[in-house]
Amino acid sequence: MKTIVAVKNATKNYALGKVTVPALRGVDLEVAEGEFLSIAGPSGSGKTTLLNLIGCVDTPTSGIVEVAGKDTRKLSERELTDLRLNTIGFIFQSFNLVQVLSVFQNVELPLLLQKKLNGAQRAERVEALLKRVGLDEHIRHRPSELSGGQRQRVAIARALVTRPQLVLADEPTANLDSVTGQNILDLMKELNQTEKTTFIFSTHDARVMSHASSVVRLADGKFVDRLTGAEAIAAGVNRKAPAAGVS
Amino acid sequence: MEGRLATFGIIAKIAFRNLFASRLKTAIVGGIILGGALLVVVVGSFVDSVVAGMRRSIVGSVAGDIQVYSSQSKDPLEVMGGFSLEAPDLASLDDFAKVKQVLETVPNVKSVVPMGINGAIVPSGNTIDVALAHLRDLVRRKLSGKTSAGDVAAYEAEKGHVHQILSVLQGDIKNARQLQDEKALSPEDAAAVNKAISPAFWADFDKNPLDSLEFLENKIAPQAIDADMLFLRYVGTDPAAFARSFDRMKIVDGTTIPEGKRGFLFSKYMYEDQVKLKTARRLDKIKTARNERGEKIATDAELKRFVRENSNQVREIMLQLDAPKTALFRDKLQKKLGSSEADVAKLLSSFFQTDDLNFDDRYDFFYKELAPSLELYRIRIGDTLTIKAFTRSGYVQSVNVPVYGTFDFTGLEKSPQAGSLNLMDMVSFRDLYGFLTAERAQEIGELKKAMNAREISRDNAEAELFGTKELAKPEPAPGAPTTVPLAAGPVKRGHGKKKGAAQAVPAPSAPVQATGRTIVAEATPGLNPPTGEGVGAKLTREELVKRVYDPAQLQSGAVLNAAVILKDESKIPQTIAAIDAAGKKAGLPLKAITWQEASGFIGQMVVAFQAVLLVLVLIIFLVALVIISNALVMATLQRVQEIGTLRAVGAQRRFILAMLVLEGLVVAAVFGGAGVLLGALIVKVVGKIGIPAPNDVSYFFFSGPRLHLTLGTGNLVAALLIVFVVSGLSSLYPAWLAMRVNPRTAMQAEEG
Repeated sequence: MKTIVAVKNATKNYALGKVTVPALRGVDLEVAEGEFLSIAGPSGSGKTTLLNLIGCVDTPTSGIVEVAGKDTRKLSERELTDLRLNTIGFIFQSFNLVQVLSVFQNVELPLLLQKKLNGAQRAERVEALLKRVGLDEHIRHRPSELSGGQRQRVAIARALVTRPQLVLADEPTANLDSVTGQNILDLMKELNQTEKTTFIFSTHDARVMSHASSVVRLADGKFVDRLTGAEAIAAGVNRKAPAAGVS
Repeated sequence: MEGRLATFGIIAKIAFRNLFASRLKTAIVGGIILGGALLVVVVGSFVDSVVAGMRRSIVGSVAGDIQVYSSQSKDPLEVMGGFSLEAPDLASLDDFAKVKQVLETVPNVKSVVPMGINGAIVPSGNTIDVALAHLRDLVRRKLSGKTSAGDVAAYEAEKGHVHQILSVLQGDIKNARQLQDEKALSPEDAAAVNKAISPAFWADFDKNPLDSLEFLENKIAPQAIDADMLFLRYVGTDPAAFARSFDRMKIVDGTTIPEGKRGFLFSKYMYEDQVKLKTARRLDKIKTARNERGEKIATDAELKRFVRENSNQVREIMLQLDAPKTALFRDKLQKKLGSSEADVAKLLSSFFQTDDLNFDDRYDFFYKELAPSLELYRIRIGDTLTIKAFTRSGYVQSVNVPVYGTFDFTGLEKSPQAGSLNLMDMVSFRDLYGFLTAERAQEIGELKKAMNAREISRDNAEAELFGTKELAKPEPAPGAPTTVPLAAGPVKRGHGKKKGAAQAVPAPSAPVQATGRTIVAEATPGLNPPTGEGVGAKLTREELVKRVYDPAQLQSGAVLNAAVILKDESKIPQTIAAIDAAGKKAGLPLKAITWQEASGFIGQMVVAFQAVLLVLVLIIFLVALVIISNALVMATLQRVQEIGTLRAVGAQRRFILAMLVLEGLVVAAVFGGAGVLLGALIVKVVGKIGIPAPNDVSYFFFSGPRLHLTLGTGNLVAALLIVFVVSGLSSLYPAWLAMRVNPRTAMQAEEG
């Protein structure tokens, strides 16, 4: 299968005053198209940093991060933004919806930024997607009028509306109850299978990992191993996580 | 295009909704913008209206739209600014007719008024001089045996009046003794007063009236100084042309100066302020302040001072009272005050001790019962005024002119500035200024014939003047260059200063040359009056009053400046350029300046007002800029995650910039627009009602008793422009911060 993400010996250091804090220390990773990949590891292991690099919101201090065949270190700020807009969808732990826009407008926003579709085409796609995530009844609602699960569904719809090759989700179920979290995961999995969209998500929830086609484990900013979902659970990847696992 | 519109739509939607979401921020920023816009419109309109009012006042009262004077002048022309006796050193325009002709070739020129402005000190009259002159007249009649019964009564009354004055003087000496060292006082003066007030003196008066009068005139009159020196600024002009061109001018008392006559018109303001009995003037001022400005004697320091001065300074009235009037005043005041006090001075002092309760009643009583017995004005309409002024060459020239009346300018009746200039016929002005008028030239010619005037050289002056041979043998060589001085001090005039051709006053046949000749006149034996005064002085004392002059003289002689009234007053710069060009073409040294430049200090106040407005606006908007910028920075910091999310999902930096700029523009447009509208409404309402002039000085700035604000589109546009500029500038830093928000911020929930 074609590689959508290739991370080669990537390091990322953050300056904290005069101290340099290494967040990633030479990580290698390849993600094939259509994968449903989970990045696991305890807090501070570098999951979000790796997602930031893959999501083109950050560039590595050294090493290479290629997304859809493009070396992100060679791209300008503007090109990185275009890459995010056209290739990547984001699902955030805190949903990050624009509060002043309706459900429809939040989902439509990336299409407007793309400027590829006309109004009717945009409406058709947005409505179809909202129906798909079960929010066709809430199309005119504002995010503040929705539950946490519904908001995350809006975020998923927004991430998918441009039909990206890659969707990145940072702890997508962390702020949801277990049932809602499960539903969201089911939805993501379904979309992964039907749309062939690659999903990469960070989590330390064992049940979330169980859905993954593979689990990449990180510790102290270093790659530990890569397992299947079942292997990861068997290996007790998330032993330190709370029993409920989803918050 | 459709996509761009949709993007704009979403930006607008986000912007609008953010404005509503951050109500506090929007209210602070919007409030400042609204207030600022309102302030610019209202204050801008106020300043513009004041400037327009000042312009109307200045242009309409003396300056005209443009003033023209000689470009060879040493000083700039100032028609309104003079606070000192020293007039600007202006070269004259020798032939006004030609100047006028040239100016009238400029298409935008409507009319041209000849002018010259100067100042003079005028004694406003001394009560004892007047009383003694009156008494002397009555004595003459008595001695001639042609007295009527009325004359006898008047004679007795006037004697009583002089006696009353002597009583006042005796009181003055008594007061002076309390304040000064005895040695500082002249014992002769006190003795003279004591002698004059003694019954023996008055018993002798009827027997030796002329000797007694001489004693009073020589020994008493110099002590009774009650005359104020008036400083009069006057504009010499063609009275008819002035009235036609400055159509706000109106005659208040008397008549205008008849055509071809010498004459003087007081400005009504100055007449009231300077010439009127001070007590009456202060009563008028108190009344105006109470009635028009709602001030109270009890609370206003100035009114309290007026009351105190009126009560303490009754001498001016006392000097006017003869015996019957004294008795009359005593009777009336005793009744009015319910007092048995016999001293009229004390009664008057008590009467003028007014308060808010009795003021109106006493004001009416004063004008109804007391004023008819008083000379309210020390110079009356019809009096002849002797004006003494320094000519440009430095000697004193005097001219007698009758006072024909008073004038003011509609709407500017109470303005000290508009009322600062009096009006005189141009011919008299030229005399006072030292110009050689045709009338004088003729006069000098006649005098020349009657005298043996001749020219001598400076080198030989001493021998010529004090030698024997030459003086004993006059040389009336026909055609020889001879001149006569017009006034005392011919040597000084002859070669002392050199301020222009007109000053030297040469006789037509003998122009003064630059070679430094000294010109003297030899008086024909017997022509000199017994007092020994010179020919010049004799000429000075001529009764010019009764003379008429050819009205053409107004047009043909020299002037210092000319007011130009325009057809289209908005084209001042173009007209000035045209006048300059026309002057050059005609070979005339014309310098044209705007009304603003010509009005000197007052005109510069227009600039000052505008500068103050500009500084005020700058300060307000600098403060606004900081406050708005801070509010926007705070708002931006609160929206970092939203901005980060937008950036993460693919919004370019310019999208963020557009979003914030649009927010700023919307606030600027909505609140700035509201501020402008509200300001315009206030200006309209206040403009309709009018702002009352808070004091006399304001009349000039308001060009009338009320300032009616006018709404200029310039202010509306300026307000909106400033609002948008300030909004734009204050958005710069927050927008820069927003554009620098890293999309990573969107991910900054708990690190996994």
